Amino acid sequence: MTPASISLTIDGRQVSVASGTTVFDAARLNGIRIPALCHQQNEVPVGVCRVCVVDVGGRVLTASCVRPAEEGMNVSTTSAKVTRARRTLVELLMSDHPSPCARQQQSGDCELEILARAEGIETPRFARRDSSRGRDDSSVAIAVDHDACILCDRCIRGCDEIRHNDVLGRMGKGYRAGITFDANQPMGDSSCVSCGECMISCPTGALTNKFHVGTALHVGEPASPELLKGLPVFSGVSGTFLELNRGSVVTRHFRPGEIICREGEYGSTAFYILEGRAQVSINTQIGHVKTEGGARGFFSKLSSRLARGAEDHRDEETDRRTIPIDAPADLPLTKPVAELGPSDLFGEMTCMSFYPRSATVQAVTECTVLEMLRNVLDILQRNKNFRGQIEENYRRRALDSHLRSVPVFAQLTPAFIDHLRDKVELLRYSPGQVICRQGEAADSFYLVRIGFVKVSQTHPGGEMILAYLGRGGYFGEVGLLGGGVRTATCAALDHVEVVRIAAEDFRLMMDQFPEVHRSLEAVALGRQQENRDRLALVESTPLQDFLAQGLMEAQSLLILDLERCTRCDACVRACADAHDGVTRLIREGLRFDKYLVATSCRQCRDPLCMVGCPVGSIRRRNSLEVIIEDWCIGCGQCANNCPYGNINMHPFTVNLVDPESPGRTRAVVKQKATSCDLCTDHVEPSCVYACPHDAAHRVDPRKFFGQLLARSKGD
Amino acid sequence: MLFDQKQRPWVIAAALILIVATAVYIPYAILSPQGPRGGSAIGLAFGIAGFALMIFAGLLGARKKVPVWRIGRAQTWMRGHLWLGLVALPIILFHAGFHMRGTLTCVLMILLFTVIASGMFGALLQAYIPRRMTIEVPMETIYEQIDHIRAQLREEADQLATAACGTLQGAPSAPVAGANTAATASAVEIGVEVSEEARSQLREFYLRRMRPFLNAPAAHRSSPLADAPQAAGLFEELRLRMPPELHDTLKDFESICEEERQLTRQAKLHRVLHAWLLVHVPLSYALLALAAVHAIVALRF
Repeated sequence: MTPASISLTIDGRQVSVASGTTVFDAARLNGIRIPALCHQQNEVPVGVCRVCVVDVGGRVLTASCVRPAEEGMNVSTTSAKVTRARRTLVELLMSDHPSPCARQQQSGDCELEILARAEGIETPRFARRDSSRGRDDSSVAIAVDHDACILCDRCIRGCDEIRHNDVLGRMGKGYRAGITFDANQPMGDSSCVSCGECMISCPTGALTNKFHVGTALHVGEPASPELLKGLPVFSGVSGTFLELNRGSVVTRHFRPGEIICREGEYGSTAFYILEGRAQVSINTQIGHVKTEGGARGFFSKLSSRLARGAEDHRDEETDRRTIPIDAPADLPLTKPVAELGPSDLFGEMTCMSFYPRSATVQAVTECTVLEMLRNVLDILQRNKNFRGQIEENYRRRALDSHLRSVPVFAQLTPAFIDHLRDKVELLRYSPGQVICRQGEAADSFYLVRIGFVKVSQTHPGGEMILAYLGRGGYFGEVGLLGGGVRTATCAALDHVEVVRIAAEDFRLMMDQFPEVHRSLEAVALGRQQENRDRLALVESTPLQDFLAQGLMEAQSLLILDLERCTRCDACVRACADAHDGVTRLIREGLRFDKYLVATSCRQCRDPLCMVGCPVGSIRRRNSLEVIIEDWCIGCGQCANNCPYGNINMHPFTVNLVDPESPGRTRAVVKQKATSCDLCTDHVEPSCVYACPHDAAHRVDPRKFFGQLLARSKGD
Repeated sequence: MLFDQKQRPWVIAAALILIVATAVYIPYAILSPQGPRGGSAIGLAFGIAGFALMIFAGLLGARKKVPVWRIGRAQTWMRGHLWLGLVALPIILFHAGFHMRGTLTCVLMILLFTVIASGMFGALLQAYIPRRMTIEVPMETIYEQIDHIRAQLREEADQLATAACGTLQGAPSAPVAGANTAATASAVEIGVEVSEEARSQLREFYLRRMRPFLNAPAAHRSSPLADAPQAAGLFEELRLRMPPELHDTLKDFESICEEERQLTRQAKLHRVLHAWLLVHVPLSYALLALAAVHAIVALRF
């Protein structure tokens, strides 16, 4: 039977402690400080750093944090032997530690560096390692510097024992040893919920809080951690994290009619409605240029004007009934207005990927919202409660309209959508993360809800990009309807959220809705054929200099034969005349041989311009021409994305409903993106038609330059 | 405009018209007791045909004013303008019986010859100059942008010079809007570590030779910088005299001068390419107007 208390001597002092107490705790309880790095009061001691060594009269020194005190034990914590050993240990740790580390720089409280200073260690005698163990900046909230890690395991114990998240672990041996997230995932891609426990457990700068530019919001009332912890959506979020990110969430109150955010503006915050209702809308659409006449009669005059969608439907447009926005609701094309209510989150894409605001949100009633920065939103999205609520909202309110916004799913019945409600999964992916890989078994169908997905195929010659899919885009049907194997790799381009429909539900849908089955099959066949054609062209095109100019990616180039061109600018004037006075080409650009590739939309096969459009208003029509829909909000994202400068922003004067004075309109100048539409209403683009010297041509670059290169090879 | 295979149908059509007209004219000229006259039936027919061809040729200008009208491709109109306009000359000569009788007809004939000659000259220029421009001006820009590009070049040169030499005291400011003045440039810190002597030499070269050339290239046609081989020699000599630290700046200077020369060349070729229109177009309008007057006068009186 063990005695209830034991007596021992520490540094000459007689002390009495409960049986089972460690030497470290016995000293601590009696006011004797033993330095330690790997040990914390709230964690099970592991004795890995050995800094807490003491002399108990044995053959070797012992780690006091794991050595139980014994009756009559004589402990020395400051003997020359102990001091020398501790100093050597700290010196060894310092020789492998970047000094000052991030924590030391941020707050000057790196425990190792403080200890080293106390021991009088300035420059360790031992050589540093040559290679870095690397950094991991994938998490929005926490920075990982493996070089500063002393392998004390405090973070692992914090994650496992205190938070029970079981994300952190150890990997590797010797110099390669380090901490790891899940099965060696980058922290941002792992199941880490960013609770911050590891960060506050870490004694050094290996895990530090990421400070963001403008961490504090300077509007509204800063929401205190106490207030936030009281809100159901924040339950489960670490109080320490909220404390560290004080100022990143503010409470804002809006009166009816007040604007919460405006379409086209750049921002970095998301909004979560606590109370009240808000209206989300897109301002008056600017019509597209409609050129009339001419096509029917040889001598009839052409005229161009701005035509609205209601009076001039473009192909496929009649099927497209909603405008995708950065909110839990899509907007009807005919009347782009919807309502948001309590527990709705909007502005996620703006906050996470810095896209422009996709719509204007205006308070309908007294509205209380939380406005938050990216670090907080990221944590919320990892929080089970919050995710659960957002998913529930989506299932109940947005799944229906989201599915129906995709033309092939327009036939689905309410009963089947109800069936899907509890079956679909919302999955999040970080930039670069693979959603499904070519060659894997096809087990799901995906619908893009937020962000952009890159679809590519790997071939012996390298990767070929097939498409970029934004909100409303879908993938996975080729594998499911075909041989059950993925034919392409789909990866997140930015912060992506997809709706996953499992294979069995997909098959059920195919069985119950033959029309949907047929439409999807047609889409799948079309996509496969398009990919085959592309591959054939890629393989048959000689790789010459012009490929480096991005010309291979073009489907249609406006080229000017400089030996014929008299620089009369008839092409530019014709383009302007055909497009309501706004030219869509500039007679300048790359030169190849005697040809000038004019600055005019190339209708790229890999249309980067489409990535990031917050309202999906730039799209490809009939697989060739890229067009900009009337509901373009003029944010300029596509113009910035176009690598060739072929999309321009032009001001148009339009009458808008004044959001600050409902019922009244005011004339404002609104930007709209414009690019070459190939004058597809006519046999030939106006620029080519108007060239008197046969110098302007629209060509397929592969055929045109292929012939040219073949000729030059022959010569 | 190149004389290629696409011109062939028009050449054939023009040749056929000419053959038919000649076939009609020769017996008409031989058999007419008073010789060929414009007032005779056949003479009038030639006159009407010639005037119609001239009107058609003149319509090209109107066609260009409405580029989006779908009334035939502009290049079709251009070919018609060239070949039918050319055929108008012999038809009118057949109409006049190769005589210039009155003052008006005399003026008309001179105008017709001038218009046809200027048109042929223009067509030749359009076949030749674009090719030269393509070869000689690889840095070609939009003609209307030339002044702006020049201002940018001057600004860039000032910045380079200031970075290498320090303050450019006494540099004449560029007269074109958008260019930084020397005073602004002087605020830039010296970015190259070289001796004061080398810096002074470079400053001297820049202020005395290069900047005046960039400011007014037309007034410095005799400058060695206006001629590519001479400029290359001059920069080579400077490279020998100056330390390697300044060679990058010299390379940039050389490239700026080359671009300036190309802009000058482009402007000149552009003017040559379009200057003939200053003769051709007004005289064409005058010809059409006087031809109309002539027709009215001849038919009425």
